[in-house]
Amino acid sequence: MSLLQSSHWPFLIDVYFFLGGLAGGAFVIATVAGLVGSRLYRDVVRAGYYVALLALIPCPLILIVDLGVPGRFLNMMKTFNPQSPMSMGSWALAVFGLCVGLAALFTLIEDLQRKNLSNQKLIVGVIGGVFGFFVAAYPGVLLGATARPLWTNGHALGALFLAVGASTAAAAIALILTLAGRAAGEGATAIRRMTVLALLIQALSIVVFIVAVQGAGSAASDRALALLLSGPFKMTFWVGAIIVGTVVPLLLGLADLKRPSLALSAVTALLVLVGGFLVKYVVMAAGQA
Amino acid sequence: MARTLAMFTDTSLCIGCRACQVACKQWNELGPEVPDWTGSYQNHTHFTDKTFRLVRFFEAPGAAPNGDLAWLLMSDVCKHCADAGCLNACPTGAIYRTEHGTVNINQDVCNGCRYCVSACPFGVVSFNEQTGTATKCTFCNDRIHNGLGPACAKACPTESIQFGFRDDLVVKAQKRVETLKGMGFKEAQLYGADSKGFLGGLNAFFLLLGKPETYGLPVNPKLPQKNIFVDSLLSIGSAVLVGVGALMAFRSRGDGKEG
Repeated sequence: MSLLQSSHWPFLIDVYFFLGGLAGGAFVIATVAGLVGSRLYRDVVRAGYYVALLALIPCPLILIVDLGVPGRFLNMMKTFNPQSPMSMGSWALAVFGLCVGLAALFTLIEDLQRKNLSNQKLIVGVIGGVFGFFVAAYPGVLLGATARPLWTNGHALGALFLAVGASTAAAAIALILTLAGRAAGEGATAIRRMTVLALLIQALSIVVFIVAVQGAGSAASDRALALLLSGPFKMTFWVGAIIVGTVVPLLLGLADLKRPSLALSAVTALLVLVGGFLVKYVVMAAGQA
Repeated sequence: MARTLAMFTDTSLCIGCRACQVACKQWNELGPEVPDWTGSYQNHTHFTDKTFRLVRFFEAPGAAPNGDLAWLLMSDVCKHCADAGCLNACPTGAIYRTEHGTVNINQDVCNGCRYCVSACPFGVVSFNEQTGTATKCTFCNDRIHNGLGPACAKACPTESIQFGFRDDLVVKAQKRVETLKGMGFKEAQLYGADSKGFLGGLNAFFLLLGKPETYGLPVNPKLPQKNIFVDSLLSIGSAVLVGVGALMAFRSRGDGKEG
């Protein structure tokens, strides 16, 4: 019998992985939208930077509360260890947090004073975008760099977490635009296209992940994969993450692009958000079981 | 760096008395725990924050020289890997390597992120709920810096646990394998003695009377951080797809309409 131990990271860490990915994705989407057309996509840029801020605010708090000795959280900032995805993630989160704060501040100033700060936002957006990608992806790489059989053989978890960050962020922005009555605009159409594209990348990453674990072929990896695919987590994975969270919103999203409807947009966005969380949740839960 | 110190655990000499486990608890003041019922003399099932040495018991059908069932014993401990997954994973620098080659967790620096617990290929590092920090065998850091061997090696009545310089112990261990093979223990083998082998060699290495699987040990444990390169490349691939996808999504109508 193997002696492997689990970190027993709680549900809160799943929430952090979800919010961090959402923030990274929203920031990148806002930046790309701003690059392509800062005036045409003003709604998307605003919503994206605000969503990134709102999603990111709880993140450091969650991480600190989860520590065994929360008072020592700054010890993460006294070391720079490129071998440790957690160390690199801490630094990336700090830099990204700064960029998110600045981008949201510039957006707020624009909203309040009718100034045009799109150049400033662009600089912060491009730098922050790189770190946004990092913050969205590193938790997957972090899980891959452990001895847990499901994670260490998966190789695509970073790719998957990044794709989930993008799909959930696009869905969150789409939902906000829909609720704000801007569903008919150019921005809303583009963000719905983005949701569908991100869902495709998400689906592809899930396939690569499963195939990689299957291909590892060790007894431990087979057992770990069975937990996910046919064991106690099969309902959450197949019904929650795959069908309701990926396949159905993909079909609904495509239908919505052909014949736009408010209800369809809202339902698609909600399913993507729930499904994206379930993907990360089930990977964490099955990997730690 | 000083000459690397090591512990060589010769499981063929182990009688399962668990003096090592008790000595470890006493010296390191590890305190009592609720026992696990494991169906054998083994207690606990796993390493814990209060059990750094763990004598494990295995019934292995057909593993005895005459083909009978063998009762295998193994006094297990932190391997103090030359390439240590826990040390690489640590984001605070709390886990460090001593001048003797052993791996330690600085209890005053560890902030309890628990990453090292998942990163250990042997399930050694354990989380202590009371202190909120990660703990494991220290190789009796206080003792070896004062000219004493680890408490477990000192207490072992059969010299199953030997302490010394690594290079000396490896030579000794190799001779012992030959002796045992001559006695009919065909599967006798060293685990972790080869410094060119997995994890750069283990500074606590073992002589086993069967295959590593028989003892629930990973056959060819790999350094978890070896995944970072490939996993990062795939992440970058995903980022490129998302970036290009976003450009496509926003460009297909937005192009040329502005300004």
